[in-house]
Amino acid sequence: MIEVEVFPHRYLKATTTEKFLNEIYSLETVERVIIHGQPLPKTVYYGPARGTPVNHSERKVINVHGVPVELTVMAGRFWITLKDDSEIEKIEEICKSLFPFGYDIKVGKFTRDKATVTDYIKYGERVVNMMDRSLIGLIDPRSKFESAVKIIPKEKDEKTSSKE
Amino acid sequence: MAYTPQFYPGKTRIAQNRRNHMNPDVQLEKLREIPDDDVVKIMGHRQPGEDYKTVHPPLEEMDLPEDYVRDLVEPINGAKEGHRIRYIQFTDSMYNAPAQPYDRARTYMWRFRGVDTGTLSGRQVIEMRESNLEDIAKNFCIDTAFYDPAVCGIRGATVHGHSLRLDENGLMFDALQRYVYDEKTGHVLYVKDQVGKPLDEPVDVGEPLPPEKLAEITTIYRKDNIPMREDTELITVVKRIHRVRTLGGYIPTDEIFKEL
Repeated sequence: MIEVEVFPHRYLKATTTEKFLNEIYSLETVERVIIHGQPLPKTVYYGPARGTPVNHSERKVINVHGVPVELTVMAGRFWITLKDDSEIEKIEEICKSLFPFGYDIKVGKFTRDKATVTDYIKYGERVVNMMDRSLIGLIDPRSKFESAVKIIPKEKDEKTSSKE
Repeated sequence: MAYTPQFYPGKTRIAQNRRNHMNPDVQLEKLREIPDDDVVKIMGHRQPGEDYKTVHPPLEEMDLPEDYVRDLVEPINGAKEGHRIRYIQFTDSMYNAPAQPYDRARTYMWRFRGVDTGTLSGRQVIEMRESNLEDIAKNFCIDTAFYDPAVCGIRGATVHGHSLRLDENGLMFDALQRYVYDEKTGHVLYVKDQVGKPLDEPVDVGEPLPPEKLAEITTIYRKDNIPMREDTELITVVKRIHRVRTLGGYIPTDEIFKEL
């Protein structure tokens, strides 16, 4: 299992993110994608306009292989977990076609794969020992599972997660 | 002691741009013409056409104690009329914005009277009597080459974005999306005022400058434009200040200045 970081040189619009995720999930070796970016608030949280709805045009529900995914961030980085390195060139091709402004691709290890003390405190020892290994390190401990993780069914279970 | 101000050290174009900003005799290139009312709308302190609110009666009508400083210093118009003090705040992207916080502060201090500025890493606030502030905001801060619609933002609160990558349209990230890029016309439209309250009608602030032009007029040293290391004169000055401050502190002796 290897991980690839895709780092576009611009923050992506929701439509580009949608296209990118759809193409990435069409690849066979992709197991999960973590979306990393700038959070887009629903309401103004500070200042004289506090509480006013923001209505950010990039915070919307996108469709990834038939599954509605609510984008809560403006995507700026993707961590893609792959089964093996056979399809890295294909990822590069996708990036080339979607990111004309430039991008970086790095192969390495970007997320944790072992349970931490926080996990044990939050979920309890039994749950951590039982849980799906691919869920470890997917989201940060403060976010809620339902809002941060989407499972996109295909031949195999795949997940996409939004996090700050 | 009479002397000629040098404004800023450095031999590169960036240093020259900084000097141009600070030098009150230099007229910055006028690039756009935003109507007065639109600037008032973006600032959001009063409705266009509304009278200025006052905090004290006009100075002439006030019975003030004798003070010779008052005779020496001519008050600005807003102070004479007793207008409120209001603010406008700008955020400048690191991607070759024409100005940046320290440059802004120095420029305001050199060019204008009756101004109070606050400098932070990502934003720069100006406080001033309302009528004078509107005049400066329009005629200097927005209409000239001191501003770019894409990489400068007028943001009163929630300013986050100056150190982030730009978005796909080349705009600086804004969580509140105060301005949007109109893909049909290529213009930037303000749809909210500076604190994030929606405007009735969008305010057009014109087209973003091309990247080559920004690279030419910017006051930010960057490795992909002109790096600071290239500016030997500036480096000498910075090193000198650093040495004098760290070694001299509050008791600078002759020894510290010996080799400088």
